[in-house]
Amino acid sequence: MKETGTSEPLLSVRDLRVRFATEAGPVRAVDGVSFELAAGEVLAIVGESGSGKSVTAQTIIGLTRTPNARIEGSARLEGTELIAADEEELQRIRGARVAMVFQDPMTSFNPIYRVGRQIVEAIRAHRRGIGDDEARRLAIEMLEAVEIPEAQRRVDSYPHELSGGMRQRAMIAMALALDPELLIADEPTTALDVTVQAQILELLRRLNRDRNLATLLITHDLGVVADIADRVLVMHRGRIVERGSLDEVFYSPQDPYTRRLLGAMLRLDQAPAARPRAEQVPLLEVTDLVKDFPRRRGLLGRRGAERFRAVDRVSLRLDRGETLGLVGESGSGKSTLCRAILQLVEPSAGSVRFEGREIAGLTRRRMEPLRREMQIVFQDPYASLNPRRRIGEIVGEALRMQGVPRGGERRRRAQDLLDRVGLAPEHHDRYPHELSGGQRQRVGIARAIAMRPKLIVADEPVSALDVSVRAQILDLLAELQEELGLSYLFVAHDIGVIRHVADRIAVMHRGKIVEEGAANRICDQPRETYTRELLAAVPVPDPREARARRAKLSA
Amino acid sequence: MARFILRRLAGMVLVLFAISLIVFAIFVVIPSYDPAEAIAGKNSNPQLVANVEETWGFDEPLPVQYLTMMKLAFSGELVSYSSEANVTEQIWEGLPATFSLCIGAAVIWLLLGLLLGYIAAVHAGRPADRVLTVLAVIGISMPVVLLAPACLYFLAIQTDLFPTGGYVPLSEDPLEWAYHLVLPWTSLAILFAGFYSRVLRSNMLEAMEEDHVRTARAKGLTERQVVTRHVLRNSLIPIVTLFGLDFAAALAGAAIVTESVFNLQGVGQYAADSIANLDLPPIMGVTLLGAFFVVLFNTLVDLAYAYLDPRIRLGESAR
Repeated sequence: MKETGTSEPLLSVRDLRVRFATEAGPVRAVDGVSFELAAGEVLAIVGESGSGKSVTAQTIIGLTRTPNARIEGSARLEGTELIAADEEELQRIRGARVAMVFQDPMTSFNPIYRVGRQIVEAIRAHRRGIGDDEARRLAIEMLEAVEIPEAQRRVDSYPHELSGGMRQRAMIAMALALDPELLIADEPTTALDVTVQAQILELLRRLNRDRNLATLLITHDLGVVADIADRVLVMHRGRIVERGSLDEVFYSPQDPYTRRLLGAMLRLDQAPAARPRAEQVPLLEVTDLVKDFPRRRGLLGRRGAERFRAVDRVSLRLDRGETLGLVGESGSGKSTLCRAILQLVEPSAGSVRFEGREIAGLTRRRMEPLRREMQIVFQDPYASLNPRRRIGEIVGEALRMQGVPRGGERRRRAQDLLDRVGLAPEHHDRYPHELSGGQRQRVGIARAIAMRPKLIVADEPVSALDVSVRAQILDLLAELQEELGLSYLFVAHDIGVIRHVADRIAVMHRGKIVEEGAANRICDQPRETYTRELLAAVPVPDPREARARRAKLSA
Repeated sequence: MARFILRRLAGMVLVLFAISLIVFAIFVVIPSYDPAEAIAGKNSNPQLVANVEETWGFDEPLPVQYLTMMKLAFSGELVSYSSEANVTEQIWEGLPATFSLCIGAAVIWLLLGLLLGYIAAVHAGRPADRVLTVLAVIGISMPVVLLAPACLYFLAIQTDLFPTGGYVPLSEDPLEWAYHLVLPWTSLAILFAGFYSRVLRSNMLEAMEEDHVRTARAKGLTERQVVTRHVLRNSLIPIVTLFGLDFAAALAGAAIVTESVFNLQGVGQYAADSIANLDLPPIMGVTLLGAFFVVLFNTLVDLAYAYLDPRIRLGESAR
C-alpha cells in the first residue's frame, strides 16, 4: 500500500547491537537488528518476552544508556545519528521529534501531578518561549484531538482519576503534543480492555493517517498487528527472524519460529474440536448472589448511605468435570464474584451451594475443610509464589496440610506433583525467581492440585504468559481435568482463550451475567448487544479478515 | 476533613488518658516510694507525714487521687512534690529552650540529610556515594549520650570554642542564642541526618526505576529536571511522615539528654530532674505534653500526606 520509493526513510537502523553486562555474564539483548521506517508507515515488531523488541525501541532514543549496557550500530533519524549522539542532542529529539507511548498508562504518568501539568511540562521542555497559559491551551487542544470528552475539565485531573482508556489517550496526547515525526508505541494496548483497545487502535490509525506519522509498534499480540501494521518484523532472541509486509508474514511465513507463533494463537473465529459433554451432576450452584460494597461520597458524606453493587443477582451452575468460562472486562465484577463464591468475601445476599450444601455465610472454621476442595490458580505467577521459599516447600505445604509427614515421603510426593505438571525433580530445590513464567504457573497449578480439589477457580491463569507458553499451560489444565475429574471456573478477559477451554461461557458486565450458553453458541451467535460488542472488539490475527471488518465498519 | 480531625481529637483524648494511667500506675507500684515522706523531708516524724498525707490527699483511694491529679493537671494547678512549684509554669518557662533546640536541630538534620542523600543517590555506586555511606553509618551509630558529652568536652571545655552550656533567650540576644545552641543542635541532628540521608537515597534509587521516570526522560526533559521533578519530589513524600514522627519524638524525649548535658534548662531537663527526684506531678505534666505533641504531629503528617499525594484520601487512610 505505502511505498517508500526512492526517498530516504525517516528512520534507518543498521546492525544495532545491545549487550548488557549481568552477573551471569553478558546478555545479547539485541543482536544485529536492521530495519527502515518511512513517514506515514506503521511497522510492528512482534516478539515474546525477552525477544529484545522493547530494548530495540528504547535504544533508538537512548533510554537504555546505562553503565552496564554496550550499544553498537547505527540508528539514523533523517540523517541524524542517534546512537552516537550526545545526551543533549538526544534530549532535543526525545519528545519533540520522536515520542513514546508505554504499556501501562497508570504507572507511566507521575501520580502526584495533574495530567495537564505533565503535558505542559513536555511542551515547555522543548518550546521555552511558550507561556504557561498557551502551553495549557495546547494541552487541552491535544486532549481534544485524542477525543477526551470535557478536555477543559480533564486537563486538571490526576492520572488516577481517569479510566485506563482515558489515561492512554492522555498519554498519546502528551506524546503528540509537539507534533513528532516518529511515534514509538511499546505495547500501547496490552494493559487495556478489548473494547478500549479497539478504540485506542482506531485512534492510532487515524493519527497515523492525518499526521503522516511514522509509527513503530512493539507488541506481542498478533491480533493488534493484523489490525494496524503495514509491515512486520518478528524478533526472537535479539534477532529479526522474519520480515515482510503484513500479508507476507501472516500468509506465507518463512521462519519456523514465526509459524510456531502463528500456530499458537487461539483464534476466536475458529471453533475448537467439540469436547465430550461432561456428566451433568452439579458441583456448584450459585443463585441470586449479591455483593455490595459501601461507598461514600465526599468527605462529609454518611458512610454506608450509598452502596456499590459489584455482583448483582448472579446465578450460575457448574457441573462435575465441566469448564465454565467467565468473561468480562475490568471492573465487571468477575473477580469479586469468584471471591464471593469461595467465601473469601462474604456475600451480601443469595446462595452458593457446593455439592448440594449451602456455603454462603458459613463461619471461617466450618468453611476450612471445604477450602481444600476449592483451589485457586492466580494470574500473576510472579506475585503469587513466596519468593523466599523453595518450590518444594511451596508445593509441600499443601501436602503438610493433608498430614503427609515431613521428610522423604513428602519430598517424593512433591516431586510426583511437579512431574505431573511437567516440571523436573530438580525444580524441587529451586526458588521461584529461578523459574520462567510458564514454569512458575506450573508450580501454581501443582500447588492447587496437591489439595485434591474438586473445583479450581483459575483467575486469568494465562494472561501474563507468552502465547507459546500459554498453549502449553492450557493443554496441561485440560489434561489434569481429564485425569482428575476437575471442574474449572475459568476467568479471563480474553474471550478467544475462553472459547478454547470452556464448555459454556458466561458473559459478565457491570456486575450482571448478561448472557450465558454453550461456548460455540456464544461466540458464533451472540444474542445480547454487549456480547456482540465484546466479540467485535477482539482483534483477529488475520489481516484480510481485519480489513474486511474495517471496511464493513466504515461503510 | 472535619470528620478526620474530629476523629483524631477523640483519639488524642484516648491516648492522653492511657498515658496518664500508665504514668500514675508506675508510681503506685514503685516499691518503698511514699510521696508524703518525700515531701515531709529528712527530719520528719510520723505526725508530720500524716499531716502531709492529709493535706495532699494521699490518704484518699487511688482512683480519687488520680482524678484529682488530672483535674489539677488540666486546670494548670499541678504542683511539684519536691519544690511545690507550679508544673505548668515550669514547663512554660522551659518550652522556648526546648523548641529552640528541636526546631534548630530539625532544620539542620533535614538540610544535611536531604542534601547528602540526594548527592549519594545521584552518584550511586560511585566514590562520592561510598564516602557518604560511611559517614552516614558513623552518624547513625553515634548516640546522643556519647556525642553530646564528647562535643562538650572537646569543643567547649578543652578548646573554649563554644560555651559550656546554658541557654540565652532569642529575644535577649539572637547571636548568643545561636552560639549557645550550635553544639546541642549538632549533637541532636547528626543521628537523624545520617538516617535521613540513607532513607532519601534508597527512596530515590527506587523511584528512578519507576515507569513514569522513563516517561519523563522520553519527553525530553534534562536529567536534572527528571531527577528533581520526578524522582526527588516523589521520594520526599515518605520523608514527611518520618519527619513528623521524629520531630515529635525529639520534642517528647530525645531532647532530654541533650538539654541535660548542655544545661539548657528546657522541658527535657526539667523532666530529667523530676525523674531523678521521683517527683510525680512534673513527670505527669511533661509526659502528657509529649504525648500531645506526638498525636498532634501524627495528625499533621497525615494532612500533609493527603496534600502531597493526591491518591490518598483522609477518610480511607484513617479507617
